[in-house]
Amino acid sequence: MAQYNTITPEVAAQLHAAVGEGRFFLREEVDPNYSHDEMPIYGKRLPEAAVDVETTEEVSAIMKICAANRIPVTCRGAGTGLVGGCVPLAGGLVLCTKRMNKILEYDMDNLVVRLQPGVLLKDLAADAQKHGLMYPPDPGEKTATVGGNISTNAGGMRAVKYGVTRDYVLALTVVLADGRVIELGKSVSKTSSGYSLLHLMIGSEGTLGIITEMTLKLIPNPVCDVSCLVPFRTVDDCIRFVPKIKLAKLDPQSIEFMDADIVTSSAAFTGNPIFPERVKNEDVGASVLVTFTGYDEEELDQKMIRLGEIAKEAGALDVLVVATSANKKSAWAARSSFLTAIEADTKLIDEMDVVVPVDKIPAFLIYIRALGDEVGIRIRNFGHAGDGNLHIYCCSNELEEDEFKRRVKIIMDRAYTKCAELEGQVSGEHSIGHAKMVYLRESVGEDVFDLMRQIKAVFDPDNILNPGKVCDSSVTM
Amino acid sequence: MLNILVCVKQIPDVDLVKMDPETGNLIRTGVPTLTNPLDLNALEAAVQLKERYGGAITLITMGPPMAESTLRECLAVGGDEAVLITGRPFGGADTLSTSYTIVKAAERFGPFDLIFCGKESLDGATGQMASQLAERFDAAQISCCLSIEEVKDGRIRATRALESGRELVEAKLPCLVTVEKDNYYGRLPNLEAYLAAKKAPIVTCTENNIEGLDLQKIGVPGSGTIVPKIYPPELPEPGQMIRTGSVKTDVGRLLELLAEKGTL
Amino acid sequence: MNKNDYKNMWVYIEHDGKTAAPVGLELCCEVRKLCDRTGDRLYAVVIGALPETELEKVKACGVDGFILVSGTGYDFFNTDAWANAFTVLSRKYNPSAIFVGGTVDGRDFAPRFAVQLETGCTSDAMELDWDPETGDIQFIEPAVGGKIMAVITVPVLRPQVGTIRPGTFPYAPVGAKERVEVIEERIDFDPAAIRCHPVGFIPDENDPELDIAHADCIVCVGNGLKDGEHLERYRTLARLLGGKLGCTRPLYDRGILPYKLQIGQSGVMVKPKLYISFGVSGAVNHTAGVDAGLFIAVDKNPNAQIFNYCDYGIVGDMDEVCDELIARLRAGDGKLI
Repeated sequence: MAQYNTITPEVAAQLHAAVGEGRFFLREEVDPNYSHDEMPIYGKRLPEAAVDVETTEEVSAIMKICAANRIPVTCRGAGTGLVGGCVPLAGGLVLCTKRMNKILEYDMDNLVVRLQPGVLLKDLAADAQKHGLMYPPDPGEKTATVGGNISTNAGGMRAVKYGVTRDYVLALTVVLADGRVIELGKSVSKTSSGYSLLHLMIGSEGTLGIITEMTLKLIPNPVCDVSCLVPFRTVDDCIRFVPKIKLAKLDPQSIEFMDADIVTSSAAFTGNPIFPERVKNEDVGASVLVTFTGYDEEELDQKMIRLGEIAKEAGALDVLVVATSANKKSAWAARSSFLTAIEADTKLIDEMDVVVPVDKIPAFLIYIRALGDEVGIRIRNFGHAGDGNLHIYCCSNELEEDEFKRRVKIIMDRAYTKCAELEGQVSGEHSIGHAKMVYLRESVGEDVFDLMRQIKAVFDPDNILNPGKVCDSSVTM
Repeated sequence: MLNILVCVKQIPDVDLVKMDPETGNLIRTGVPTLTNPLDLNALEAAVQLKERYGGAITLITMGPPMAESTLRECLAVGGDEAVLITGRPFGGADTLSTSYTIVKAAERFGPFDLIFCGKESLDGATGQMASQLAERFDAAQISCCLSIEEVKDGRIRATRALESGRELVEAKLPCLVTVEKDNYYGRLPNLEAYLAAKKAPIVTCTENNIEGLDLQKIGVPGSGTIVPKIYPPELPEPGQMIRTGSVKTDVGRLLELLAEKGTL
Repeated sequence: MNKNDYKNMWVYIEHDGKTAAPVGLELCCEVRKLCDRTGDRLYAVVIGALPETELEKVKACGVDGFILVSGTGYDFFNTDAWANAFTVLSRKYNPSAIFVGGTVDGRDFAPRFAVQLETGCTSDAMELDWDPETGDIQFIEPAVGGKIMAVITVPVLRPQVGTIRPGTFPYAPVGAKERVEVIEERIDFDPAAIRCHPVGFIPDENDPELDIAHADCIVCVGNGLKDGEHLERYRTLARLLGGKLGCTRPLYDRGILPYKLQIGQSGVMVKPKLYISFGVSGAVNHTAGVDAGLFIAVDKNPNAQIFNYCDYGIVGDMDEVCDELIARLRAGDGKLI
């Protein structure tokens, strides 16, 4: 069991001095939001103190103080995580990077951007676009920080075509637990130089080091894009269609699944019913939104025609086209509101983001829906079904919290077992935090889990970086 | 079977139009265009009537050649025929001459039972076109229509939004209708219609092929109004900015100021 | 057409048979000032019977005369008879200008008689001016989403027709003239020629949340709002301040709030004691609708035009500022007016 010290007035003064006026907060000055992420159901805890850092040097100074005094440090960005990753389980200090929000420079010859970790995903996306470039990873939460995306190896809508965050990280500046500053990776497209600590750092959820600067790869902005909405009578028909799109080699940028419930909630929410609830006088059970990007319109038309053919074979009600800028805007707003819309009309919510092989998507979703009915929990799911990454939300408005948790546990246990059976993974992109640790352990097995712990001990022998997360069970809620 | 005309307009994205501070002219080059959103609500209302009663929808617009894309967008959603009025002499028209031009060009596709318009365009925003078209078509008019109850025996029954409530009205055909968006969100086109609309023929009307067109009544000569001058809005002096370094302290200072003023 | 043959200005007095709508009185007051410069006489045009007490109110706005129209076809408002009446009157008396309140009805019939007369028509002027050289009225109005002000004139044709939104000009009666001319006109319109009939009316439910025109305090949310989810805090703030929530046009267009909460020239004109805007850019069309005792603006863009209209401004994240205000008000840092 790790032993930590509390923040004494002397240590507080040192921390305060390390960042300067207005950016150090002690006890009741700490923003209550620093006690949780977007899943408060996994528990909240306020840290003893918080700092809003602005430079690598400040982070280094802070870590030196904390290492010397054995103060646990939990790094957070925008706090949009879904597994309790930034909850300071051991108290101590929360180190927030939201003020490190500068895009430092573009290298237009190599299509590379250097930036600070607190830049918001939406700001990077918009800024890159101004330079005629695109940052391909596109997680649904656009107000997350890019640093947070890297710490969780976030995926997103476009992963089907472009891959995930990891594929776009070229180099990182990292502050280690003892305050040393290291550089990992280089601005080059290939590397074969020893163990890749860079890739170890990506997705490590603030347990191995604190990322203070990043170099990311960009691509030229595709000149045209179009989406097709394919509505089906039933959820099953719709789910079975998803792998067929991939197998037809249409190379879509994204394939998003949405059931009728979520379409209705989001229409009420955004005030714009862009996705129809009825098509050809029939109720829509679920739809997929397939987005193609490319460099000429004719090519996209051909893909849509082919999609139309396979949709017809699969019994789709119709194929609708989202082509005008106004409709694209509305569709984007609707998609971005899905999770918020669920949260808005649900009292209790828990989630999982398993990933299964694409051809196993129908089997898994059909299983989980039946399981929800059996246990008495409303299952809602949406998201980028195209890569097999499924966001599944367990919802209830009627149950007491304890009963809800009990039932959700049954679902989770059986769902993760099913997931393993189908050769899947515990988390596609939301990562582990403390909420999913048991399932990680079951999924990877003792040998791998032990290796993870040993790696953690090498980087952070005193266990002061984000204790209680990923593979460290020494601290709990 | 209803013969329906839907009037649409392509507009610049007004959020992106800027004024040249030197010349005082509007910079429209490179500004993306879109179909006036309220026109799409009008089109949706027309398409619903066509689905219910059968009939045909003619789309008409006036503008530069690129306004064709707006016609194709609307064809994909439910138009049967599309008419583009284009040509230099039509430029600079106000609502008086535009309404004249549209009615003259539409004549050979009429007579129409119903004419649909957006309530106003987001760029010009005079909101006068509908009434003036109705007058020139010698048609009744129902503005601010919330829902159409029935079209039967040469009459239309509809509910409209007034300042203080909803009014049910009955009008003789031909009738011009402007539509509120609430119940008529535009639909997405289906794939076949979208692809067909890309290749559909568009009827082009110019000053040379509109029958009986009086050139004195189109474009600038036919306009009743002119815009001799535009200028940036005169702004008052900025108010007192509260800048204390953080939201917490800013709000604190604001509350102090309000307390001093006796407002809180 | 010789412009000089057209003299005098008319204001249409919209009414429901019992009271005159405020917009007609507002227009009389404003056009009175214009007539004092041009030397035109100001006539109020009334269609259908209106009680003497109401006519007195119109008189108090300084009109030189009335044109009272009676006849068939005026039992209920209809565009056909109204447009016809103005066409007939205008052909007979050749007025230089006709002003009509920009209500739903006014905006229906005024552009129609302008076409019957083949003359120029403008809408939504915010200022009226007069050019003595040309003798033309200058209708000054915001255009292109409020980015510019445009001067619009009717240089050749007459009458000059303008519809103007209620609340644009103040009601500031200068007092009745000693002699007020009364012209009575009978213009029959065949009731069978009326093409549109009202057959029912459902008054809006009286939802006090939607009555912002008379609110003492308004929290106004603009296009800076991310989505519907973020709206609730502004409602909360409004409630804590004992005020009402309002919005700008984009939020109505985005379907987030109803039209009745849209503040501005094409929505509701408001006169609160305290007005706080969040994420409002400050387009003229909006600010024209706000006459606030104390105006506070919050926006993340330090160059936002809204700061030119406010008494106090805070640059910052609108949600954060709102949350902080709520927290402080709950903690008892401020009480209502």
